[in-house]
Amino acid sequence: MMGALYLGWRYVARHRWKTGLLTAAMSLILFLPPALMLLIERGSQSLTERAATTPLLLGAPGSPLELTLSSLYFSSATPRSLPRESVSAVDSALAVTTPLYVRYQARGFPIVGTSPDYLTLRGLQAAAGRSFALLGECVIGADVARSLGIGVGDSVISAPETLFDLAGVYPLKLSVVGVLAPSLTRDDDAIITDLRTTWVIEGLGHGHQDLERAEASDLVLARDGDSVTANAALKQYNEITDENRASFHFHGDNGKYPISGAIVVPHDQKSEAILLGRFIDVADLQLVAPRAVIAELLDTVFTIQNFVLLTMVLVSVATLVTILLVLALSLQLRARERLTLQRMGAAGSSVGIMMASEALFVVVAGAILAAFFLALTRLIGTNELVLLLSG
Amino acid sequence: MQQTSRCLFLLACAFLAACTDPAAPEPEAASEPAPDLLHVVAINAPLAFFAERLGADLVVVDLLVQGSADPADWQPEATDVVAMQGADLILLNGAGYEPWLERVSLPESRVLISSEAVAAALIESETITHRHGPEGDHSHTETASTLWMDPLLALEQARSVAAALSGLRPEAADEISARMAALEHELLQLHQAWLQVAARAGAAPLLFSHPVYQYFERRYQLNGRSLHWEPAEDPGESEWSALAVLLETHPARLMVWEGEPASETIRRLSDLGVGTLVVKPGADAASGDFLDVQNANVDRFSVALGNGQ
Repeated sequence: MMGALYLGWRYVARHRWKTGLLTAAMSLILFLPPALMLLIERGSQSLTERAATTPLLLGAPGSPLELTLSSLYFSSATPRSLPRESVSAVDSALAVTTPLYVRYQARGFPIVGTSPDYLTLRGLQAAAGRSFALLGECVIGADVARSLGIGVGDSVISAPETLFDLAGVYPLKLSVVGVLAPSLTRDDDAIITDLRTTWVIEGLGHGHQDLERAEASDLVLARDGDSVTANAALKQYNEITDENRASFHFHGDNGKYPISGAIVVPHDQKSEAILLGRFIDVADLQLVAPRAVIAELLDTVFTIQNFVLLTMVLVSVATLVTILLVLALSLQLRARERLTLQRMGAAGSSVGIMMASEALFVVVAGAILAAFFLALTRLIGTNELVLLLSG
Repeated sequence: MQQTSRCLFLLACAFLAACTDPAAPEPEAASEPAPDLLHVVAINAPLAFFAERLGADLVVVDLLVQGSADPADWQPEATDVVAMQGADLILLNGAGYEPWLERVSLPESRVLISSEAVAAALIESETITHRHGPEGDHSHTETASTLWMDPLLALEQARSVAAALSGLRPEAADEISARMAALEHELLQLHQAWLQVAARAGAAPLLFSHPVYQYFERRYQLNGRSLHWEPAEDPGESEWSALAVLLETHPARLMVWEGEPASETIRRLSDLGVGTLVVKPGADAASGDFLDVQNANVDRFSVALGNGQ
């Protein structure tokens, strides 16, 4: 038998290209369906974990999915904004709220305007530097630091929303004061700063030369009591430094300034139930449970998964049939070889083993390759792949 | 077979011996860990005082501004803000007392702005921009911020501190409540003492060296005018001239100061028939116990009124 197997192995080695292609096809048949299920399982686990650590989200009326994706995954679609003071609609005796303003981005990475509470909520620690403390400072996720090659002491400039709106959002240079440790979540791709800094980006806050100083007299058009009108030469700062930070200020009522949502963490389950009940009839706000939103999303994903798996099975069957066809053709082509072996006195079983060794090798090698790549995917690649695919 | 049975028998004996060991001591009940102290930071001495009196052995209180520096003039550095971020509770005054608040990042869930409890009672004042001393220009905030000079507003600030501490340590709520009741009694006693002083002062015109007594004046309906003089500095001839003009329509016999004025200032005021009296706001760390400072203020005011001023 060993002799037959050896001869079979020699045949396979002689026709390495054909055998390699057949092995690759077999490994794909065996690898793809479980890999897809693994990816979806890990992705849904990642989504579910992120949603589980975010009990409730407060937002403007609209799509709960859009609010959830924006607040948890910083998707590019910003939901309708709501005024900062809306957060007071959540009873502080029932829950703690953390505002979010996710609208702007810098070099492709989302800028998340929030408070230091967010870092505590997400368990984010600085691997280098410290948390943001002053207006204009930010911390960056591990992937941001790696992709842009920046660290503590460097800076990022927010992207203008449009090149043609000179009076609108203008670029602001943010100082990087900390790099977060990898969390294997969307926070690794985020630039996190204070909520007020994002308001400065929006143009709601600004810093400029002090018009009360004598050296600024050339900038003053008119004075009327406490009201001072400056001319267009007044320089507004596009970078917040230690020297000019004190000049930054906000006009009007900060409570009316926009946020895109707020994370609401109830003190206990009873508080959560009370809050959800209170917001049922509130017309100008919505309070959603990300767990429920993600569960609904995953139901859709699993439905799609079943269709994709069915398609994969059909394709696999077709591929298998093709492999069998190739093997059958190979057997047909080896008819003279079989005849020669029989005439040389080889036993029928030995000839059978030699002929079957090609198919056996393809199946075994394909299974080993598939198992190897599946193990690699399970150990290394799923988190990165999930984050990559979730965009 | 016999060997197997023997082995099984020995194993069974060993198992039974392991299960029933009468000499094995009962595991000690795990001792409850001592509750962690709450780290509280306060912007000024009155708030630190309230936290210490109400929190007692539950808290460790740190003042953000040390020494005799005026907390109202303090600007935090990044390291100060990071230190604040690490506290369990950050006690701020609000009402414009911390103009840097909109330029720093603090965890909102741990910040208590004590003036929010009395938002409806805040006094809006005009912004005054002026220059004096080596610091150059500075402005007074648009909202009067020295709430604690009114004992009843100080009481509300203390109540908000008590509520915050009780929220963080609900198991100690009764103790905190008891300490709050005691503090309330003392603050009301202070209020009564001031009422008596105010009754003696009546409608007599007064001068205040600095616009930091607005709530005090309002509570006790004092007939006062505020200047902008610093105790250690000569205000300048224009200010002296303006004072002389003011005295013609507001003939004050007493000028209230935040701190002991310079001797030359005392002499010139005396020449104008105006006595000096120190009523310390007590916001800085060097002032000491808030109630001691305020009670000393009452005593000095009483003495000054008794001296016919």
